[in-house]
Amino acid sequence: MKAMNRSKLITASAVLAVVGLAATALPAQAAEVGVTSTQIKLGMTVPMTGTASLGYNKIPGAAKAYFDYLNDNGGINGRKITLVVKDDRYVPTEAVSKTNELILKDKVMALLSPLGTANVKAVATSVNPARRGIPVLFVNTGFSGFADTKKYPTTYTVLPSYIMEAKIMGEYIKENFAGKKIGILYQDDDFGTDALAGFKTAGVNFAVKVPYPAGGQTAAAAAGWITKFKAAEADVVILFDVSSATSAMLGVAAQLKYAPQWMLGSVGGDATTIKLTGVPAGVLYNAIGFSPVPATTDMKDEYVKLFSDIYAKAVPGSAFDLNVLLGMNSAFMAAQALKAAGKNPTRKSLMAAIDSQGATFANAALVPLGYSKTSHVGLTGYWVGKYSPTGDLAPIGGSYVVYTTDSGSGPVVKSTYKRPAMPAKGLPN
Amino acid sequence: MKKVRLLSLLSVTALVTTVLVTAPTVANAAPACDGKSPIQSCVGVTSDGAPYAMQIPANFNGTVALFSHGYRPNVDVPVGIPGYGGYKITNTPEPVPNGDAAVAKYFFSQGVAIMGSGFARQGWNADSAIKTNSELISVFKKQFPKTTKVIAWGNSLGGFISQAMDEVYPELISAVGDMCMADNLEPELTMAGDFLWGLKVLFDPTIKGGNYSAGTAGLLESYADLGKVFTVLGKLQATMATGAWPDTSSATGKALQAAGVPSRSALLLVGLMAGVPTQSAHFDSISGPEGALKLTFPLAISPALAVLENGASAASLAVLATHDVELQAGGAIFDNTKTDYAARIEGERVIYNAALSGNTVIDALLGALSAANPGAPRAVGNPAAVSKMRALQLNTGKINVPTVLMTGVADPITPAGASQRLVDVYAEQYAAEKAAAIKAYQTTRTFKTPQNNLLMLWNTTPASYTKFDAAGSPITSTPAAQGTNHCNFTSAQYVLVAKSLVQASNTGKLPSGGALYTAVRKAGNLSVDKGIRFPWLKSYGNN
Repeated sequence: MKAMNRSKLITASAVLAVVGLAATALPAQAAEVGVTSTQIKLGMTVPMTGTASLGYNKIPGAAKAYFDYLNDNGGINGRKITLVVKDDRYVPTEAVSKTNELILKDKVMALLSPLGTANVKAVATSVNPARRGIPVLFVNTGFSGFADTKKYPTTYTVLPSYIMEAKIMGEYIKENFAGKKIGILYQDDDFGTDALAGFKTAGVNFAVKVPYPAGGQTAAAAAGWITKFKAAEADVVILFDVSSATSAMLGVAAQLKYAPQWMLGSVGGDATTIKLTGVPAGVLYNAIGFSPVPATTDMKDEYVKLFSDIYAKAVPGSAFDLNVLLGMNSAFMAAQALKAAGKNPTRKSLMAAIDSQGATFANAALVPLGYSKTSHVGLTGYWVGKYSPTGDLAPIGGSYVVYTTDSGSGPVVKSTYKRPAMPAKGLPN
Repeated sequence: MKKVRLLSLLSVTALVTTVLVTAPTVANAAPACDGKSPIQSCVGVTSDGAPYAMQIPANFNGTVALFSHGYRPNVDVPVGIPGYGGYKITNTPEPVPNGDAAVAKYFFSQGVAIMGSGFARQGWNADSAIKTNSELISVFKKQFPKTTKVIAWGNSLGGFISQAMDEVYPELISAVGDMCMADNLEPELTMAGDFLWGLKVLFDPTIKGGNYSAGTAGLLESYADLGKVFTVLGKLQATMATGAWPDTSSATGKALQAAGVPSRSALLLVGLMAGVPTQSAHFDSISGPEGALKLTFPLAISPALAVLENGASAASLAVLATHDVELQAGGAIFDNTKTDYAARIEGERVIYNAALSGNTVIDALLGALSAANPGAPRAVGNPAAVSKMRALQLNTGKINVPTVLMTGVADPITPAGASQRLVDVYAEQYAAEKAAAIKAYQTTRTFKTPQNNLLMLWNTTPASYTKFDAAGSPITSTPAAQGTNHCNFTSAQYVLVAKSLVQASNTGKLPSGGALYTAVRKAGNLSVDKGIRFPWLKSYGNN
């Protein structure tokens, strides 16, 4: 049996949809799903509970804080943004179930910042937002595959890909740790596979590679990981993992007084989250880290300052950290996209707005956005920093040196990107 | 962990409305009718020896609903074999699904007669059943000349037969209902065969898994296989938590065990490569017990338990249907010499990565199952037998009359992808009809929008449904969740299909719009969302 051509299917279903619309004689200006005269409804799935929720469970609160601020300042063309959040516990099958609820019961206009490579992939396969024409904005995963516009035509990445991150890490290693034995801890799925591909492109040879299955990041496992790194006499150990794995590793390392040169990937490198688990700040001291957005302690940065002020009022007592900054930044970008989508935004006009204007959206990142009519690539680089004695990531030498690259074989270069100034009051123009 | 009940195909006994008329002894004779009112019952035998039953209401309006029953084994199955133990071959007619009185009552209330054949042979019988059904329609029309419309509908293999009726005899049929419809024979048997082969090469190499001997010897081999399959599934169930391998495992399996690969991950991979759903009657792959396993259970264990529960049915079908079709085709029909199992699970490996224990373990398993491993010898089909199998009825998916599909999204026997294929094929057909209409408009200046002739009813699973006892063990004694198991429909869902078919038969149009949505909501656990999509059966490749 000949396999059916997917594009034909999509065309066919589009035809059906058009005919259906005509047949039911909908009003000429029928409202888009999730959009009323007073409200725009967005949906988010994220681990709010469970092992993997650590740190990431602050993202919805951060996004809501920005949307509440926006709503208090008039919303988007008079419409307030409502964010419906569902806990997927970082379980892909649950992400599918909760996303179905968001679409079928809550009737959201678009999905915002779903988290986790496996979860986003499971939803893409089983829920089919692409076939339904539902935008999936600014996914919280750096898996490079999600930028494939043929496979995921309605999905927009925002984080730099894991391949980009690994390539930039590799460049840093070549410049600073030539001849040293390098080890890596990585999640044994597409998250890790992407990273290994980037390191391979960068020409990094590992003395030891330690994979862990998702969900297997326990203290007992961490002791085993350390045994392997010790046996290989690794000088530099890269933790390309989730926060809970970084915490398990550094916590056990502190107990065992194991102290190689740590290099932390951005996914699991948020200091606030790590310290919350009881890892002493001193363990992080001098570890190398990477981030696309400014240091969260950098109150001279206009974005960090405004976002931290908004967050402090919205969620008093909660630390302003990398997850919060990224969550608010995605909400800010979503607001700009909705504004650019016109007075009566539709799912189509929302995506068209990102395609045509997304690359110029104001946002906190110090690296360029790659959106265009042919690209759904978000941020494209990192700056390199070191963790201070208090565990905060700060740029090496005091100023941000930003590197940019792609997910292919392109070179890693120093970026000359000039970040757009923040619009007045941090509201979309 | 409590024992998971190994499930069987739906029981096929006692499925019909009671028909007490004595059947004529001469084949192809006119039916014997009791002349009763308000419901007249008739029975008879078609020229191929297939018994049939008819029930005609006094207010008969000229429409008859012809129901085709699902797969029944073509052999008796000894008592004691899980799943099918005690089954006796039967050709009892089944005029409505499961003898559902509510369905019959609805038809009668509309003046619609019902009928069904028990068919001349059991097993995979599509080719003969189509002929039987067409003859039965003639018999009915001759007996009841008022007849103007025939609804063809059926469950499982009966759904396949009903679709075939539309493709082969569209002039006889006014509406079609394909419920929990089987796909074409080869993809169905490939799914079953893949699962059985995986069990064999990893967990028990003495499972024959096909290429059965002729005659009684072959029958005994298939019985032995049934026993072995259920034994190995039982062992896997017992070691689900520890990940230990059955003592019957192959050298390949033992090597994987030594390398630290949990048996549950191996079982899950076998299920995924065959296309067995990862939601089953009692395992939703979402829920976890309170406590330490709250997250680990759905992430690492539940998908394998779902495959175990579903696989019990898939493996049974593999043995019984393979034996049956080999008899018809004259040799081994399952051939996986060229199957790329890595490609088969490309989409799922990231989704079930934790349950599969990570990429390293996945790659080790795929390596063990690759054609390059002599320790996992591939099954070689008999080319002549394979050709003969492929010459059996092949449904293209073309839809000629209004058609209603209904299927469970986690049906382990006839996966949702079988219905998805028809949905996709019809989307192409509709696009072509639309293009033709546009072309015609250029000359006639009259545009006629093609009529939508397909209604897809997805029988969905609840958001979550696995239940746990106070000790945290999953409870498997409750009824199967909606959307799971084979043809696990309620009376209300069957009646909705019946109503849709009667409307389509009367008006030529399927229900739509608000009335449809209201009816769907009332029937419960159904969705008509066009965005729902399931992969086709694995042997079709990447769809």
